[in-house]
Amino acid sequence: MSTQSTQWAAPAPDTKRLIGIDWNIGGLLHAGPRFYAFISLLVTVIFLGLMAWGAFLFNGGGLMAMRDTYPWGLWFTNYMYYVGLSAGGLAVYASVHLFGAEQFRPLSRLAVLQAGVLVMMALLGIITDMERFWRAGWMLLTPNPTSPFVYTGSAANIYMIIAFVDLWILITGKGGEKLAMRMTLIALPFAVYLHTTTAFVLSLNKARELWNSAVMVPIFLTSATASGIALLMISAYIMQRFNVMRFKKSMFRSLSTLLATVIIIDLFLLGVEILSIFWPTSNHPGHSARMALFFEAPYGWVFIPVLILGVSAFALLAGRNRRHLPAVQLTAAAMYVVAIFLKRYTLMAMGFAIDPLGQFTAPYFPSLVEILIALMILAIGLLIMAVAAKILPLQVPDQEIEEHAHEHVKQRAEWAALDAEPQAAQASVTEAG
Amino acid sequence: MQRDTMFPPHRITGSRTVLSRTGPPHASAVASILIVLGVLALATLLPPAASAAPLGRAATGELLYYPCTSCHPLGLDGRPTGANPNDFEQHQIVLEAHDTLGEGSVACLACHDDPTRDPGRLRVVGAGFVEAGSDDVSLVCYQCHSAQYQEWQDGIHGREQSGCTAAGCHDPHTPAWIYGAPLPPFTGTGFEVRVVSNRVPFTPLAGPPAPAPVETPFWLAIASAVGVLLAVGLIGLMVRGRHAR
Repeated sequence: MSTQSTQWAAPAPDTKRLIGIDWNIGGLLHAGPRFYAFISLLVTVIFLGLMAWGAFLFNGGGLMAMRDTYPWGLWFTNYMYYVGLSAGGLAVYASVHLFGAEQFRPLSRLAVLQAGVLVMMALLGIITDMERFWRAGWMLLTPNPTSPFVYTGSAANIYMIIAFVDLWILITGKGGEKLAMRMTLIALPFAVYLHTTTAFVLSLNKARELWNSAVMVPIFLTSATASGIALLMISAYIMQRFNVMRFKKSMFRSLSTLLATVIIIDLFLLGVEILSIFWPTSNHPGHSARMALFFEAPYGWVFIPVLILGVSAFALLAGRNRRHLPAVQLTAAAMYVVAIFLKRYTLMAMGFAIDPLGQFTAPYFPSLVEILIALMILAIGLLIMAVAAKILPLQVPDQEIEEHAHEHVKQRAEWAALDAEPQAAQASVTEAG
Repeated sequence: MQRDTMFPPHRITGSRTVLSRTGPPHASAVASILIVLGVLALATLLPPAASAAPLGRAATGELLYYPCTSCHPLGLDGRPTGANPNDFEQHQIVLEAHDTLGEGSVACLACHDDPTRDPGRLRVVGAGFVEAGSDDVSLVCYQCHSAQYQEWQDGIHGREQSGCTAAGCHDPHTPAWIYGAPLPPFTGTGFEVRVVSNRVPFTPLAGPPAPAPVETPFWLAIASAVGVLLAVGLIGLMVRGRHAR
């Protein structure tokens, strides 16, 4: 893949500087027909989604498959999913600045952009889910402090702003490494706060037995990080495929190792939860009867693939001799991204399949209106990413990468010298003796 | 003299009125009336006198909660008519958990074993029969559930509350059903809740409520079909462009 570095396009002549960023307008204007076909496809989907949204606003909730017994459908599933996916970007970005993982520095701008766009998509899902979205202001004016929605909603908004400000700092280089480091120190707690409060939306429901688990929060964090890293890897390959960015093979290998590690932690926590639910001497009949629905009809077809895809993805990445293969990396990443979407769908069903009164609820399948609006939100996200790939300088300059790599090497040499000092002193003492 | 004995002359202290032995006995009559009225007034403060019928039974003697005459109407002679005109087929009381007491009527007779077939009299081994509406009804439950009975005796289940007996809170036929509030047994509340403990296998109460159908505007379906065709065309364009490249 690194051979494609020779195809790296020279800076387009018609760039415009705005807010300190060189916007490559020429890259957008002189894009090929396939790019425009892709943009047209996205615009078509957005247009259909807008029509569906209009129909839904005029005709009301009867157009949705969500009902009183199943009030959180595709849009809220996507909220959970997109918020989770955004975690991968920050995990990678923070590891560069906090833990000196210099191999991920080329990914940093893409990671932050992806995180910001995904949180924006998550919030769009909530806005459509609110139905009368113009009432969103009331939540800000009269917040209910006992509702976790107040915290997750505000965290998502702030996190999105932080991500876009971070992107601006990374591209313009304003404030240097010090400011980037400080921004990471702000962004990381907010990211943990966002993902934790999103999980709390479910786990603080006392009446929904399968949600009301303390393990829900760590499972949510690990699922989010794993799927986010997997999506980032796919994005990086796509960006490289279209000559927008270039990466070293070693970077993908490190990313695969990180992904495999997070996947196995995620699967472990899920296994612990399932075991606790079904352990014969300690299970609660209400828990096990509900969970049994996810190993047979009507939800087995969604949940069992989560386990199969998850274990398969880990098995693919576990082998050290094939982890470096792009096909293996992409397959495993795609498997886990799909697995976590299915997991989010089943996560909703775990709360609603049997309601607190013990009544079965019919399985939920989204209506045409819900699907069109969800596709619209997805298309908006893809449109921003596609346009950003053309006009934003997402590629981290080689000079910056080398500079930091040298610094890193220098620092490691200093640490090695520190390690060597006591040994040398001991050797001199021995000689003197 | 006898009259003198009956109405001895006396003086009411602090009063200037002096009752002469020859005066009319109206003062005594007034006093008697006042005493009667006072007793009546005091009587209103007392709890109503227990009726002749035991608690949980109508004046006719039948059970209030399960009135026999709702299915077995009485004839003019005061005896049950032979036929059951109110579509009576059989006793429809559902036993859950207590169906282990026996099959069919054997389960019923485990408690309702009165030789006169009075369903309100329940058998207690070694103690004869107890009235279903009485506090002693807990003794019937004690025969099998001695541990719970002991807890109730210890006050864990709120023995001090009015009407808090075994059958005052639990439907005796299906004990997992709990009355909305503790009441004297077999008086009925019309409201019961189901308690599912962790030790009882979970079974949902009812089938799913039928969800309202999903509406999709016809014009939107048509627009979506056109959009899908357009999307397929654009994807084809991208794929063809890829080959050309």
